[in-house]
Amino acid sequence: MHIGVWSRALTFATAGVFLAACGGGGTTGPNLASPDKQILRANNGVEPNSFDPTQQTYTYERAVGVQTYDSLFRAKADGSDVEPVGATGFDVSSDGLTYTFHLRANEKWSDGKPVVASDWVYGWKHFLNPALAAGYVDPFFDQTIKGGSGYGNVDVSSASAVDAFLNGLGLSAPDDHTFVVQLDHPAAYFKWVATLWMAVPLRKDIIEQAAGGAFASTDATKAEAWANNASTIIGNGPYMIKEIASKDHVTLVPNPNYWAPKPHLQQIVYYEIADGNTAYSQYNTGALDMIGVPLADVTVVRGDPKLSKEAILIPTLSQYWISMNTTRAPLDDKNVRMALAKSIDRDKLVNDIEHGNGKSLSTFIPKGMTGYDTSDNAQSFDPAAAKALLAQSGKKDALAKMKLLTRNSTASKTLNQFLADQWSTNLGVNIQLDVIDSKTVTRDIRKGQFDIYGLDGWIGDYPDQQDWFDIFVTGSCHNLNWGCLSDKNYDDLVTKADAESDKTKRLQEYSQAQKLLIDNAVVAFMYQPYEYDLIKPYVQGLTVTTTDDQNLPGDGRYNQAFITQH
Amino acid sequence: MRGALLPPQLRAITGTRSGSLAIFIVRRILWMVPILFFVILITFTLMHLAPGSPWDKNGGRQLSDTVVKNLNIRYGLDKPVGTQFLLYVWNVTHFDFGLSYQYQGKTVSTLLLESWPYTATIGVLAFLLIIPVGVGLGVLAALRQNTRVDYITMGFATIAASFPNFVIGALMVVVFSVLAYKATGGNFYLPAAGFAVDDSLIMPVVTLALLPIAYTARLTRASTLDTIRQDFVRTAWAKGLPERLVVIRHVLKNSLIPVVTTLGPTFAFLVTGSVIVETVFAIPGIGRAFVVAIESRDYPMILGTTVLFSLVVAVANLIVDVAYVFIDPRVRLT
Repeated sequence: MHIGVWSRALTFATAGVFLAACGGGGTTGPNLASPDKQILRANNGVEPNSFDPTQQTYTYERAVGVQTYDSLFRAKADGSDVEPVGATGFDVSSDGLTYTFHLRANEKWSDGKPVVASDWVYGWKHFLNPALAAGYVDPFFDQTIKGGSGYGNVDVSSASAVDAFLNGLGLSAPDDHTFVVQLDHPAAYFKWVATLWMAVPLRKDIIEQAAGGAFASTDATKAEAWANNASTIIGNGPYMIKEIASKDHVTLVPNPNYWAPKPHLQQIVYYEIADGNTAYSQYNTGALDMIGVPLADVTVVRGDPKLSKEAILIPTLSQYWISMNTTRAPLDDKNVRMALAKSIDRDKLVNDIEHGNGKSLSTFIPKGMTGYDTSDNAQSFDPAAAKALLAQSGKKDALAKMKLLTRNSTASKTLNQFLADQWSTNLGVNIQLDVIDSKTVTRDIRKGQFDIYGLDGWIGDYPDQQDWFDIFVTGSCHNLNWGCLSDKNYDDLVTKADAESDKTKRLQEYSQAQKLLIDNAVVAFMYQPYEYDLIKPYVQGLTVTTTDDQNLPGDGRYNQAFITQH
Repeated sequence: MRGALLPPQLRAITGTRSGSLAIFIVRRILWMVPILFFVILITFTLMHLAPGSPWDKNGGRQLSDTVVKNLNIRYGLDKPVGTQFLLYVWNVTHFDFGLSYQYQGKTVSTLLLESWPYTATIGVLAFLLIIPVGVGLGVLAALRQNTRVDYITMGFATIAASFPNFVIGALMVVVFSVLAYKATGGNFYLPAAGFAVDDSLIMPVVTLALLPIAYTARLTRASTLDTIRQDFVRTAWAKGLPERLVVIRHVLKNSLIPVVTTLGPTFAFLVTGSVIVETVFAIPGIGRAFVVAIESRDYPMILGTTVLFSLVVAVANLIVDVAYVFIDPRVRLT
């Protein structure tokens, strides 16, 4: 649900790596600030709801999670494949059902103890414990790991039922350096699932100590007692938590026992300033080194000779769309849906409403990952064709009765007003906005009670197409497939591609699925948002990749980053 | 005879002035119990009437039904609402305000204790600013009625009372942080966010205090004008007392009574005002915690904060009522 992709600012990243090399990797480089000044101050926006990575679902939580805990793998800088972190490699059995992960031999916890395979088993079981109801279990893990399919039916008030479920999972540690995961069915994407920030090892001894002794698997409170105290958050990641100043900031310092070479940055402070304008002021007065530019200030930054040089525009691995309820007439008619999709000038939307922070895109997979292909122009802006389609359907009057469900926020209202204007101008149909409280909107779409709803979208969890195409399978109806597309051909293609180990075949199958999705027009694809960030010129050596946080560019690889004298 | 059936120790105090005061305080404290019960009842009802569950997100992928079901069980939301209410009230009588839904593994009490010092510091500092400045400006304006001093003071009060504090806060950030930083090359400016016992307190405290200062000044002016026309003030002047003594000993003592009345509501304002000020200046206090709790439907946290706010306001009102007795001997507490 996260991830930003990098391509535009590639020169920036390269320059950074080059400078780091000039610094000799030590602390004696002419340009390098002294170790006590190697502090990066960034705005993470909100305090993590939990410091237990298995419980984290939001970007601002993951931002801390990925520094404190390493998963088995992470995405390569270019997003093309995975690369080793907690594991150094893996084997897959010929039937595609058994993944054997070879763990890093010299890996240690931040308190110096070695990380062993049983820690991985314990961590994954903690995560998959149904009594703890971690947000990311379903569908990534319970629907792939052997024995996980019963996740939703476990009686979470019974310790024996929970234990039986956990012990029945296909997770084992044949020796200290081997972690074996058995799958329920072949899943070609499972190596990507193993990059997710919540799939980490945990320390049984520390968790039980913080809970005051061993506890029942149904006791969620005791199971989380360790996760709010910096001294009991013992991780295997590059940084560890030094201080949690609740709702103000989190301070990270290098993990002295980490396996990789020592980083330059001696402190990373993630501030929790929710108001974008306040953060912007803090950046301008030198109290922050890195922020996301609030939409209201984008024009000012672009026009400012100094700030514009510190700004970078980062394509994110995300896509926005409008959902149409296929169970309601006249939206059950494909031509009507296509008419709506084809009558929106996406370039104008990106320029006028998003101030250029995005890329108009009438296809599904965003730029920066495998599967990006804009050749299908079925949904492209074409008012004449849109009018013709609507006339052909003969349902113009019925369409005018439809409403556009809108979240009650300035951003949503502005965007949706634009959409309504476009439909009015290009299609001659006046669709009213139905502006209501955001929580109510979520409740209504979950129940399928809407005509047209948007903009909603997706931020990739990892750069693999499975993460995207699974959104619109029939089983995801009322989950993110709000319009309830139910197309057997699409479902079959996606199921096949998800399991397919042949890369070329897999790409073809997803490509066909994308075509079905676009032609069906159950959603109208709109644009890929870009993140506009400010970074002080003295922050160098950032390697920004596809898996970084949108407001914290380079956060996946701080090991190369440093602060220059200023 | 009043108190005749009371034990001798208590009978002794009921007749006295301090005795009736003590009984008044005890009665008022006991009254807080039903008040808090109804605060909980109303908040609980409104909270559950508000649409959306704590697990709904503002866009993007929603948690699956399976996860939502397990979360409801984990936090007892699968029980009937009536049972949930009774359980909550029962726990509150044991000073157990429950677990936050949003901050996992943290109790509401921990969260409130964490954020309370920030709100209290800013509130108390604002209060200490309101009394002297508000009263001072009001008396000044009254004594120099219809002069330039009066017009400037009341003009300021009108402006300060007209602007909402989020506008004032944002304007102050622009002027005293960003523009001041640019103009002085970073030598003089006020930080726009954060909390420390230093200059970062200036803007939040002033923003919070401005509106109550304006009200206090206007009220003080009106009541002072009222008082200085009274016979006893004319007598004081006639006795040849210096202005300082007339104002302090005769005018203020009487003109401040209506001002004291408003201190209770002022306190309530400081508590509710913190909601906005803490958001604008990124202060990790209770006001911001309240906003976040409402946005995320963190039911136990909403309840805990509301109970705490009501308690503060109730205690502040009690203190004001008791203060009357000392300021105005004519007041009798019953």
